[in-house]
Amino acid sequence: MSTLDTTSDVPRRPFSGRRVRLGDLLLQGVAGLAALGATVLVGLIAYKIVEGSRLSISTFGLGFLQRVGWDPVHNLFGAETFLFGTAVTSIGALILATPLALGIALFLTELAPNWVRGPVTALVETLAAIPSVVIGLWGILVLGPVLLNDVMPALHSALGFIPLFGPTSTGASVFTAIIVLTIMILPIVSSISRELFLGVPSELKEAALGLGTTRWEMVRGVILPYTRGGVAAAMILGLGRALGEAVAVAQVIGSFSGNGISWNLFNPGNSIGSELVNEFLNYSTTLELSSLFYLALILLVFSLAVNLLAQVIVRRVARRQGFVS
Amino acid sequence: MPKHGMLIRSILVLAAAALLASIAVGSAAAGHKSRQGGTLRGAGSSLVAPAFSIWAPAYQSAKGVTVNYSSVGSGAGIAQISARTVDFGASDAPFSTAQAQGCVVNGVGCINIPWALAATGPVVNIPGVGTLQLKLTGPVLAKIYLGQITNWSDPAITKLNPGLNLPNMAIHVVYRSDGSGDTYAFTNYLSKVSKQWASQVGYATTVNWPTGTGGHGNNGVAAVIGATSGSIGYVSTAYTIANHLRIARLKNASGRYAAPTVRAIESAASLVNSRKIPKNFVGGLSIVNPPKTKTHKYTNAWPISTFTYVLVPLKTPQAALIKSLIKWVLQPAQQKSIQHLVFAPMPTVVVKAAEKALNKISS
Repeated sequence: MSTLDTTSDVPRRPFSGRRVRLGDLLLQGVAGLAALGATVLVGLIAYKIVEGSRLSISTFGLGFLQRVGWDPVHNLFGAETFLFGTAVTSIGALILATPLALGIALFLTELAPNWVRGPVTALVETLAAIPSVVIGLWGILVLGPVLLNDVMPALHSALGFIPLFGPTSTGASVFTAIIVLTIMILPIVSSISRELFLGVPSELKEAALGLGTTRWEMVRGVILPYTRGGVAAAMILGLGRALGEAVAVAQVIGSFSGNGISWNLFNPGNSIGSELVNEFLNYSTTLELSSLFYLALILLVFSLAVNLLAQVIVRRVARRQGFVS
Repeated sequence: MPKHGMLIRSILVLAAAALLASIAVGSAAAGHKSRQGGTLRGAGSSLVAPAFSIWAPAYQSAKGVTVNYSSVGSGAGIAQISARTVDFGASDAPFSTAQAQGCVVNGVGCINIPWALAATGPVVNIPGVGTLQLKLTGPVLAKIYLGQITNWSDPAITKLNPGLNLPNMAIHVVYRSDGSGDTYAFTNYLSKVSKQWASQVGYATTVNWPTGTGGHGNNGVAAVIGATSGSIGYVSTAYTIANHLRIARLKNASGRYAAPTVRAIESAASLVNSRKIPKNFVGGLSIVNPPKTKTHKYTNAWPISTFTYVLVPLKTPQAALIKSLIKWVLQPAQQKSIQHLVFAPMPTVVVKAAEKALNKISS
């Protein structure tokens, strides 16, 4: 029915004098259906998640967010370890990835010779194309042992007075997950930043250099302030990616759900996505399944909030700079 | 420009034609195959997967039926048969009550039938300690996993290993983070040998671990153990042997420090001869830590032996094919063909009961 409605719409358009073309009708119908389908799908998924989590919400209420442990044997479930682990791993990855990504973007737009820019840009973007399960495998087989034997002991002996760098346990830890996530969000933050830096009017840059600033002063005084809002949006998109990443994190985080809020990054921990990967196909009780839906609901709300925030920032920046968004 | 457009269009047309042709050829080939013998799709237990790498080709050449088995873990096997996305599932843990209810589709439930017999065992990575050198008892293993024994030089461990030079080194406990039949057998054993474990943690395909690090899958556990000095974990025995992991001996109920061999698993499985087999295998057959009795001492028994199950809907259009596959697997020749992977042949009473249970499946 909806296709019929859209087709009857076409002749009333401003160009009604023109002959109605089959191609236009098809385009409008197919594109409209695709958009409608995507919207309906999101709605259906959200409905299913809310529906599925109902039993757990009525059993645990908001106390679920503060309870520690995941115990299918005694039917007791809580999200605190997962919430904390998700927050720490994604924020940690963002803190490490942002300066690296900005450095890559500046290098590719301002510093690198022309013949380097193309290949390096392509390589950085290839990083985004590696399947997360492969990065996870590399994380546990190669990265984990290196971190455990070299990096973690060095950090512990130099900065051990900070609770974040406590005694080590195994190569599967919150710290390993942060490094893996850093690698995974690097391409998205750096490629958006690169586009933003390319958009800085060259008159501004040349004017600054003409006034006798160094290249670094130009970057600090012109490029970064000009793109500040856009870079913030890129960071938030990276954060969204890190929040939702499940498979690679499940392989390297060490999936220990009993420690709640533990500040030692070298301990194993758990995240919402990782727990969903581990348990969703394997629930033992109906309450466990419902609690997993509850976790998914929390993740959905988080991701939605992060995406909305990014959109608000992008729109504000676009308005300020006079672009039509 | 128009020339360019033509080129693109003709490439697109060619690609579409090639795609259509390949689909047609593919479906013709599939049709041809199904007329010959048919195809069965199964998924689940990674413990039974090595057995399938022997069985599937043998069954293909004997009966002309292709069996595609994906090793996705017991939990996923239960989920997939419950969703009917495969013809059979496989799990090392029997259906829990909730899982059995979850497998009911349009009023048709599922049945779990034992079809192979294997084991899970503790493996360690301690400098200077080789395979089958370290001796542990059930209660000590439980205390390690409860986080109460935290160093390899703890007197509770050195007392059991007088000849062994155990280092002063922290113990790193490793477990399976994804739902697994190995976890089920392992925690089932710990529950039998430790009252505290039974009341505090219990047993299931996933439990609330009091301490330790989780590895994803047998590979993940092996990777973490391999990279961490002082670690202890558990993996399927077939997997241990293939990857040259260092196994620890376990003291069984008759006081012997056993190793996970085919004979030791067979000995543990003989427990079923003195037990009543539940109707249709509801709740499964537990053979962990067989107790010493006057008539049967289980001298050599490996205490973490486990049956592994095939999961089938009681009513399925593939009933004939599935039943003949399971009947074939239950034959002595097939049970014996996987002994080099440390699978033991199932006891005759179990095979007889399994054959009887097959009659419940109809199309």
